[in-house]
Amino acid sequence: MSDEGALLRVRQSRSAVAGLGLIAALVVFAIAFPWVSTHDPWTSDFARGVAPSGGPVGPGRDFLLGADRIFRDELVRLAYGARISLFVALSATLLSSVVGAAVGIASGYFGGKTDFVLMRVVDVGLAFPFLLLVMAIGAALGRTTPWTIMVVLGLTGWLGSARVVRAKTLQVRGADFVVASRALGQTTPRILLGHILPNVAGPIIVLATLSVAQMIVAESVLSYLGAGIAPPTPTWGHMLLEGQDYVAVAPWTLLAPAAAILGSVVAFNLVGEGLRDALDPRTPDGG
Amino acid sequence: MRRLAPLVAGALVACGTPFAPPIAAEHPTDATPRRGGTLHLASFADIRALDPAVASDDLAATPIEALFAGLVDYDASAQIVPDLARRFEVSPDGLVYRFFLREGVRFHDGSELLAADVKRSIERALHPTTPNPAASLYDTIAGFEAFTGGKAEHLDGVAVEGRYVVAIRLKETDARFLSVLALHPLRPVCPSAGDRYDDAWVPCGAGPYRLPPGGWDRGRSLLLTRHEGYFRPGLPHLDALQWTFSMNRAAELYAFEDGDLDLTHDLGDADLQALRADPRWAPFLSPEPDRTIDGEVMNTEIPPFDRVEVRRAVAAAIDREHYRAYKPESLSPASQALPPAVPGYDPHFDGQRYDYAAALAHMAKAGYPYDPATGQGGYPGVIPYYLVRQGSTEYTAQILQQELAKIGLRLELHLVSWPTFLSLAYTRHAVAMASPGWAMDYPDPSDFFEALFSSKAIRGEQSTNTAFFKDPHLDDLIERARHELDPGRRMALFTEANHVVCDEAPWAFTVTQRFEDVAQPYVRGFRPHPVWTFQTADTWLDRPPRARREALGLLWGGRGVPDRWLASVRGGRGW
Repeated sequence: MSDEGALLRVRQSRSAVAGLGLIAALVVFAIAFPWVSTHDPWTSDFARGVAPSGGPVGPGRDFLLGADRIFRDELVRLAYGARISLFVALSATLLSSVVGAAVGIASGYFGGKTDFVLMRVVDVGLAFPFLLLVMAIGAALGRTTPWTIMVVLGLTGWLGSARVVRAKTLQVRGADFVVASRALGQTTPRILLGHILPNVAGPIIVLATLSVAQMIVAESVLSYLGAGIAPPTPTWGHMLLEGQDYVAVAPWTLLAPAAAILGSVVAFNLVGEGLRDALDPRTPDGG
Repeated sequence: MRRLAPLVAGALVACGTPFAPPIAAEHPTDATPRRGGTLHLASFADIRALDPAVASDDLAATPIEALFAGLVDYDASAQIVPDLARRFEVSPDGLVYRFFLREGVRFHDGSELLAADVKRSIERALHPTTPNPAASLYDTIAGFEAFTGGKAEHLDGVAVEGRYVVAIRLKETDARFLSVLALHPLRPVCPSAGDRYDDAWVPCGAGPYRLPPGGWDRGRSLLLTRHEGYFRPGLPHLDALQWTFSMNRAAELYAFEDGDLDLTHDLGDADLQALRADPRWAPFLSPEPDRTIDGEVMNTEIPPFDRVEVRRAVAAAIDREHYRAYKPESLSPASQALPPAVPGYDPHFDGQRYDYAAALAHMAKAGYPYDPATGQGGYPGVIPYYLVRQGSTEYTAQILQQELAKIGLRLELHLVSWPTFLSLAYTRHAVAMASPGWAMDYPDPSDFFEALFSSKAIRGEQSTNTAFFKDPHLDDLIERARHELDPGRRMALFTEANHVVCDEAPWAFTVTQRFEDVAQPYVRGFRPHPVWTFQTADTWLDRPPRARREALGLLWGGRGVPDRWLASVRGGRGW
C-alpha cells in the first residue's frame, strides 16, 4: 500500500472530496465568521432582534439566519458553536486515538497478562452505555467547560479503537520484518514506533475521522440534555434544545443548529469512508 | 439534496400553520346545563399528595378542591364565602370565630358531617406527626404551640359547641385567619381518616367529587367521580373529572386539538401567540389572574449583596422590558412585591424601575465604581447564579447576566436539576443569587410579605425568605398588619411594607407571569379560578357526538394520528 496511491484514491473519491470541502468550509466559517460579523454571540439585540409581533426576528438582512430566543444573532452563535464543536470533537478524538492506539498496540504486541488486563478493562468500558457514562461523569464534574467535555469524551471514546488496533497489531507483530527487527536487536520502543505504529496507522486514521463525527454528536447530545457546557456559551446541542419549543414561531432556531450538526457529521463520515476505501488493502489497486 | 428539498419546504410550511378548528358546542344557544360526561385534563407535571393536610403542590389544588369542601371557601371573585358552614360569626374582639354547619351534609362514605369531625380534622392536620408544610399558617389558634409541640392531647382553641356548631379561638387577633382557613389544609375529612395522618388513607371528604377505588394511579392518572350526596342540589353537572399526568406539553396540545382533552393550561408562549392570533380560538382563551411574582433574589448574608447599595444597583440595572420581550404573551414587567391579583397591588407604584445611571451611582456608593466606557471596575469577584435546567430562568438568567455586566457585576451561571435547586435555593448560606419566584397561596398581601421578607420566615433549610432578609422596621409593619382588623389601616401598613421592600431590595422584582387556559367551545360554565386554578363545580359539557367519534379515530392509529395526518395534508399545523 503506497501513501501516494492512497492519497490519489482519496482525491478520486467524489464523496471524500465533498466531505473535505464541507469540513474546510466549516473550519473557515468557525474561525472567520465571528471576526467579520457585526453581531456579538453573547449579547441580545433588543433594538433590532425583536420582531414587531414580538418574538425573535426571522432571517433577513440584519440577521441572516434570524435571531434566537433572546434576540442574539443565530448565525454568529452557530459559528461560535462550530468552534466549540470542532475543538471538542477534534481534541477529544486526538486524545482517544492516542490512548486507543497505545492500549491497542501494547495489548496486541505484548500479549499475555498485559493483553488480558487491558482487554478486560475495554470490555468493562464497552459494557457501559457510552452517553450514560459521559453524562454521569459530566454531572459529577458540576460546572462543565469545553475542556472538561473534551477530556470526558476523549477518555471514554478510546475503547473501540483499542480493540481494532490490537487486532491489527496481532497481525503485524508476527510479520517477517518485525521478527527480523527483533533478531537484529532493535529496542522494543523502536520496534513499536518504527514498525508497528506505521502499519496500524491506517485503521487509526479512519477510525479517528469517523470518531470526530461521533464526538460532534456526543457533545451535542450532552448539551441538548443539559449536561454540557453552561449557557450563555453557544453550543449546537443547546441551540437545538432552545429551538425545539419555539419551532412553531421561529423554525430557524431549530433548523439552523440541526442542519449544522447534520452537515458536519455527514462531512466527517464522507471523509472517513473515503479514507477507509483508500487505505483498505482489498480495494482494487489498494496496495 | 434535491430530493430533500420538498421535505424541508414541507417542514417549514407545517411549522407556521394554524391549529385544528375548535369543536363547537352542540347547543350553543341553550344555556341550560346538561348532566353527564367526563372532563378530561392533563399536565406535564404530577401530583404528590391528595391529602389536604399535607399537599402543597400547585397542581393538586384543583383535585383537592373537588374532593374536599371547607367551612369557608373562595368564590369566583376570590371573596371568602361560607361553604360547609351555613354561616359564621366573629366575636367583637376578633378572637373567636363561630361556625354553624349545614345540617345533613354527607361525606363521600355516607356519614354525616358534624362539628366533632371539624375538630378532629383540624387536629389531624396540625398534629406533630403530620408532615403539614402549611401548619405555621395557623399558629394564632389558641393552644397551637402546646399541641404541635406534643405537650397537649387536644388543640385548646377548637371547641365543639353543639352537634353543628364549632368555635375557633385565637390567642391574638389575626386579620388573615379566614383567608388561611379557606385554604385546603384544615378541611374536614371522613371519619375513616381518623385523627392521625396516614399515607395509606384513601382521600375522602365532602366535596362535589369523590375518589373511586383505584381512581388514582400515582404518576399517571386520576379519576374523580360525582359525589351523589353532595350538599348542593343538582351539582356537579359532570359525571367525572379525569387527569392525565406527566404528559409532554406538545402531546398535551395535540390531544387538546383532537378533542381528547377538553381544556389545557400548559400553553407555551408560542402556542399562546398562535391561539390569540387565530380568530376561531381567541374567544375560548381565558386569562388566569397574575398570581406570581418573579424576581432576582439576592442573599443578603452573602457578599456583595450584604450591601444594600449593590442590591439597589441590581434593581435599577434590570430593564424589565427585556425580560418581557422573551415571553411577551405571558410576562408583564414588575416593579413591586405584589402581583396584580393580590389586594394591595398598586398599579401606580413604581417601587423599582430601570435606571442605568442610578444603578452605576449605587455601585459607586457601594464602593465598586464601574466605568462602562473602559469596562474597568465593578465588583472584583464572580457571583455564582443557580438556575434550573430547561426552565424559563435559563433565558432570563442570560438576560440578567448581560444587564449586570453593564454595571460591573459578573455572574457565572450554574445549571442544576430541580431537586438540587430546591435543596440549594432555600438553604441558608448556600446561594448568592437565584430566582425561585413566588406564587400566591391565598389572595392577601401577608402571603407575600410574611413568607418572603419577614425575619420569622428565615430557617436553616426550606426557608421561604430566600434572601434571608432581616429588617426590624419591616418585621414591625408585618406584625402590626397581622393584628390590624381595620382593612384600610391594614392595607396602609402593607403599602409601607411594599415601599420598604422595594427600597431595601432583597429582591429585584422582574416580571409577573399570567397563565391562560383554553377550553373547547363545548366546555360550558368553565372559568379559571383566582385561587384554585380551575373552577369545575358548575362546568358542564355540550359535546357533539361526531366529535366523540373523531376522538375515537385514535383507536386505529394512536392518539389523534389520523386527524393530524389529514390536517397536515390539508395544510393544518403539524410540527
